[in-house]
Amino acid sequence: MTHVLIVDDSKLMRAMVAVCLRPLGEVDFVFAGTGLEAIEQLALAGFDLVVLDLDMPELGGLEVTEFVRTQDRLRGLPILIVTSRGDAESRARLMAAGASSFLEKPFAPQQILQQARQLLRSEAAA
Amino acid sequence: MNEPNEPIDLQEFLGAFVVEAEELIATANASLLEIETAIGDATSRPRAVRELFRALHTIKGLASMIGVEPIVEIAHALETLVRAADRAGGSLHRGAVEIALQAVGAIAERVRAVAEHREVTKAPEALLAEIASTEAGSVASIPEAAIPPEWRTRLSPSERQQLALALEARVPVWTLSFVPSEANAARGITITTVRAGLGAIGEIVKVIPRSVAATADVKLGVAFDILIASDATQLAIAEAASTDPERVFPLVQRVPTPAAELDLDSFEPVERDDGGAILGRAVVRVELPRLDDLQDQLSLLIASRFRLEREIGCFSELGHNVQRLHEIVRIQGRLLRDLRRAILRARMVKVTEVLEPLTILVRSLARSGGTVVQLELDACEVELDKAVADRLLPALIHLVRNAVDHAIELPDQRVALGKPRAAKVRVSCIEVAGNYLEIVVSDDGRGIDRAAIARRANCPIDDDARLLEVLTSPGFSTRDVPTKTSGRGIGMDIVRRIASDLGGELSMTTQLGAGTSFTLRVPVTIAVMDVFSFQCGPQAFVVPTAVVDEVIEVDAERIVVPLNLHADGTASPLSLIERRGHAIPVVSLGALLAIDSGKRARKALVIRRNGDPIAFTVDRMIGRQEVVVRTIDDALVNVPGIAGTTDLGDGRPTLVLDLNELGIMARERGME
Repeated sequence: MTHVLIVDDSKLMRAMVAVCLRPLGEVDFVFAGTGLEAIEQLALAGFDLVVLDLDMPELGGLEVTEFVRTQDRLRGLPILIVTSRGDAESRARLMAAGASSFLEKPFAPQQILQQARQLLRSEAAA
Repeated sequence: MNEPNEPIDLQEFLGAFVVEAEELIATANASLLEIETAIGDATSRPRAVRELFRALHTIKGLASMIGVEPIVEIAHALETLVRAADRAGGSLHRGAVEIALQAVGAIAERVRAVAEHREVTKAPEALLAEIASTEAGSVASIPEAAIPPEWRTRLSPSERQQLALALEARVPVWTLSFVPSEANAARGITITTVRAGLGAIGEIVKVIPRSVAATADVKLGVAFDILIASDATQLAIAEAASTDPERVFPLVQRVPTPAAELDLDSFEPVERDDGGAILGRAVVRVELPRLDDLQDQLSLLIASRFRLEREIGCFSELGHNVQRLHEIVRIQGRLLRDLRRAILRARMVKVTEVLEPLTILVRSLARSGGTVVQLELDACEVELDKAVADRLLPALIHLVRNAVDHAIELPDQRVALGKPRAAKVRVSCIEVAGNYLEIVVSDDGRGIDRAAIARRANCPIDDDARLLEVLTSPGFSTRDVPTKTSGRGIGMDIVRRIASDLGGELSMTTQLGAGTSFTLRVPVTIAVMDVFSFQCGPQAFVVPTAVVDEVIEVDAERIVVPLNLHADGTASPLSLIERRGHAIPVVSLGALLAIDSGKRARKALVIRRNGDPIAFTVDRMIGRQEVVVRTIDDALVNVPGIAGTTDLGDGRPTLVLDLNELGIMARERGME
């Protein structure tokens, strides 16, 4: 069973991501509506992949990523950032913060599926 | 996105997009109004600017996924403007608010086009250009010296301004921490509930995660440091965050002022208008899921009681004396009813509170549409289940918006028609028999032009019931009918859907030139329902008793047009039966659900669909009982005609039928 945490303040976006990732097979999806909820979920349970939105109230995706990378336990956790901010600066800041991969909205279902598969494979190899 | 081998079509999410986009538009409008009011008071609202930014950003992201380019363009332009304002400390000037209201209106218009399956018009170049040439606003103006340095570096410019504004206005600012744990989660306390609790009594400025030593029940030691500006007492803040008052610290030692003395007073019991003395501790915030839990347990009890009753019935048939058992079961039934009532009371909210957001909505809509509208809310002391309220609000927003946007004439037109300059939109709510509420949304606008809709739909429309049916059919589009003149609203299928999902119904009356009135009849609570259970084919089903007008006998003499048999032996779904001197349509439920037993039906349930009765034949009535209905939320198993599932006490799920929906299906099939 693969455990995937989907973090987005839009309910519809969470649903769309989950539908796109359903072909991964045996997946347990956990949803978080804010960056805070995401960190709480990460504190309580183990995950194989985090799909993370950038703009959320109080604590955004960048800050979540930064926090996750300060945690020894979570150093290898793949973080796939989904955002509609496609500029090079945002991308560079995210990569510097420790995001594993980056996907710009709008994306096709296969794109996110492919990236998720890749991240899960590299995690399994590590 | 449209490659031939594409397995998933994101277009399937259009309906959900419309619903969420509309919520976000409401948020954006509310934020803009808040910002505008602040401008009037010569201050700013950095938090409202942030919320506006996020709403626009989310709309943009969703619209891009669904592929509605014009919405992406407008949202992007406005988002850029608002982001600049946010980065400069979170203030917008009046001109920027004006243009933002226009832009949000343009987005709303296009969301409506999506809802109505109309073509979405291009983003207006003039509007985009105007947004691009608008300066965000003045730079941060409130001195930030009062902010302690350890926080200053952790806050964004807009958050610093928010905090500085609070300090300047002498609103107390507090810091506290929340540590998530398995134990807290089991008690239903999470960062989300803490955030919601604090958000209700103050303005959260910032929440920052911090590593702490991990306890045994977590994988990771995390504490959330929370910064909040609030007039509430230390005690109330502690309670909202499920922590001890000693753990809530003032951010800065406040200079004693008269306001500080008032603070001491607020620890005293406060006399309320309702006469009850409310001490801080007398009110407890409870998360809805915890009450749901309680209700689930109750539903199991009710189901097991029904089973017990049946077993006693069996004993009685075998000749045993069960009088004393009956007595116990009777008392147990009364206790369960009392318990149910007590749980229900805990879930109730005042309808007046539910209707609150409509005020803001009408103000902003009237503003952008150039109409003058007076909103009258009349709900007295009526209360309803929070769960119903949450589901109902989008429907009310739809109806009110339709009224303001489409039904109401411009002030000059109204005067020319001899109507008062200010239009009236009235939302009233009364309790009706059987634990139902009737919410009426009425306007004194232009009414709906039945003939115009009939031309568009290409079918005759004889009455309001038929008109509503056409308006609420999902595929119905008014692309060729200028909406302003037809006065027809949008997304009416969604409104009807919400009503039927709640086990209620939608009806309508309209008079050309005089106005339209929609009535939503919904249960006060959705968890527990009084239902008729019956057998149809091999299966048991239930329907809410509230939708059933009457249960009638089906005998040969009463059938006016006998249940038709097709050449292949199956019954045609639509026939007529005599009821009190009138012929009404009768539908074989078994045939409709394709589970016909072939047996002759003995009973029929008569329902009223918008005033028109229709009968459904069933094989055998089982009884009448109270059940807890679970709505089916998963879109993948959302079958028309099925309102949810329940347990009749045998541990197996039983389907709750939506006879209103099935009636429409029957009519459609009959017309084929």
